[in-house]
Amino acid sequence: MRDVTQHNSAGAHLVVVPLLALLLLLPGPVSGQEEVASAIRRYKDRDSSTGVYEQYEVLPRRQLPFVAVPGVRRGLFPYSPTAASVRVRTRLADSHQGIKFYALRRCEYCHIEQTKDIHTTRANLTCRQCHGGEPIASIQHYYSVMNPIRKHAYICSKCHQGSSASFASYIVHEPAPGSLTAKKDFPVLYYTYWFMLILFGGTMAFFIPHSLIVGFRELFRKKRKDKNGAENSD
Amino acid sequence: MAPKTQIKRFSTFDRVFHLYLMLTFIAQAATGFSRLFITTSWGKSLASLFGGYEMALVIHQWVGILMIVGFVIHSLYLMTRIDWRNLRASIFGPDSLVPNLGDFKHLWQRILWFFGLSAPPKFNRWAYWEKFDYWAVYWGLPLLAITGLMTMYPLATSRILPGWSLNIAALLHRAEAILAVTYIFIVHFFIGHLRPSSFPMNEGMFAGSVPLEELAKEKPAWIERLKKEGKLESAQTAPPALWYRVVYYFFGYAVLAAGVYLLINGIVYSQYIGLH
Repeated sequence: MRDVTQHNSAGAHLVVVPLLALLLLLPGPVSGQEEVASAIRRYKDRDSSTGVYEQYEVLPRRQLPFVAVPGVRRGLFPYSPTAASVRVRTRLADSHQGIKFYALRRCEYCHIEQTKDIHTTRANLTCRQCHGGEPIASIQHYYSVMNPIRKHAYICSKCHQGSSASFASYIVHEPAPGSLTAKKDFPVLYYTYWFMLILFGGTMAFFIPHSLIVGFRELFRKKRKDKNGAENSD
Repeated sequence: MAPKTQIKRFSTFDRVFHLYLMLTFIAQAATGFSRLFITTSWGKSLASLFGGYEMALVIHQWVGILMIVGFVIHSLYLMTRIDWRNLRASIFGPDSLVPNLGDFKHLWQRILWFFGLSAPPKFNRWAYWEKFDYWAVYWGLPLLAITGLMTMYPLATSRILPGWSLNIAALLHRAEAILAVTYIFIVHFFIGHLRPSSFPMNEGMFAGSVPLEELAKEKPAWIERLKKEGKLESAQTAPPALWYRVVYYFFGYAVLAAGVYLLINGIVYSQYIGLH
């Protein structure tokens, strides 16, 4: 009778030995790979302080299609296969979670207005230089580097050394100053803009016609004077 | 032809301050516009005159500091011009640039004159638009200086004010700069030099003096007052030398051309930039 166990063990060697060789030859897992794989722990890994937010912050909820922020309910059932309308995206660990064909899109397909600010147009910053790589956490997510509690240290200070939390309250993607969005989100900017526009309009509305009428009036006076050959009283 | 009688209107200090303001203002307008319009082809070529985007900022900041220093020196000089023992007359008198009720009356009378409904107002030494031009610097320059310093030192600013105040500062700085540039290059240039009675140039601010004949028409109340006070003789001065006139005509028109160039390009390219 043939010893089937010998055949089996020879077959096992054929699989195991190359696998062991691969293990030796391939590079070991690095933190960068782990970062991409782990959405939840990623921002902790980058933290230079305690790194244990659980001690003093609320833990994230599970990232399920049923997502809601406490006290905020959208629709009868807070569920959407596209995750487009039910979530408050500014609080997600992966802010683009559930968006169809996300891998094929570019940031500016949806965030065109955000590409018009000074940081983008003047300093030529790319989105990822501040918002990080995938998965891009929402700015209000507790582990996000863009969270206002640590944005100044993690993001702003990369260029503006010594920046504080106050400094980081500068609005990078400020709304168009005269827009209704600005009125809602940044009223000081909105009223400053309209004040300056009215000041500009008022100054010009008075002085440009004033200058033109003076010009015409003096021209007529000059012509009349030339015609009469003598100084005219007006 | 006998030389025209010239009446002294501006002191050497006045003229130096005006020249200083002219030079710093045009430098700030050009460097500031080069940065405001940097995303356009015109902005890039303008910035290249100053060594590029970064160098234009360095020049803008230094000239800004010079402007602030000039403003402080002028304000101190202004204090020396006040007759402190006769304060009321000094501030509200006819030689003062402080606006008074008479200016509003002159404005109303002039509007009536525009439409042929009244005789022209008899202006004293300073007309209401000249007073406006003077005091406009006192609202524009401090606003530009404060917002300019805020954006120049954003970290220090954010220690005193919230960081979002830098958004406001940047908006105010640009809006006020656009207002100042538009006003100077349209209204001030037109009233100063291009209207029929001033064309081709109102030489007073460069020569320091104005022909008596011209003043008798433009500022009759001042001339009457000088005659009444017996100061007309002492106010007379020599006319400017020909070479000096040639120099300031060239200089004045060069600045005017630069200003109009900035303004026209600014209007043309404004559609390609946003204020945010």
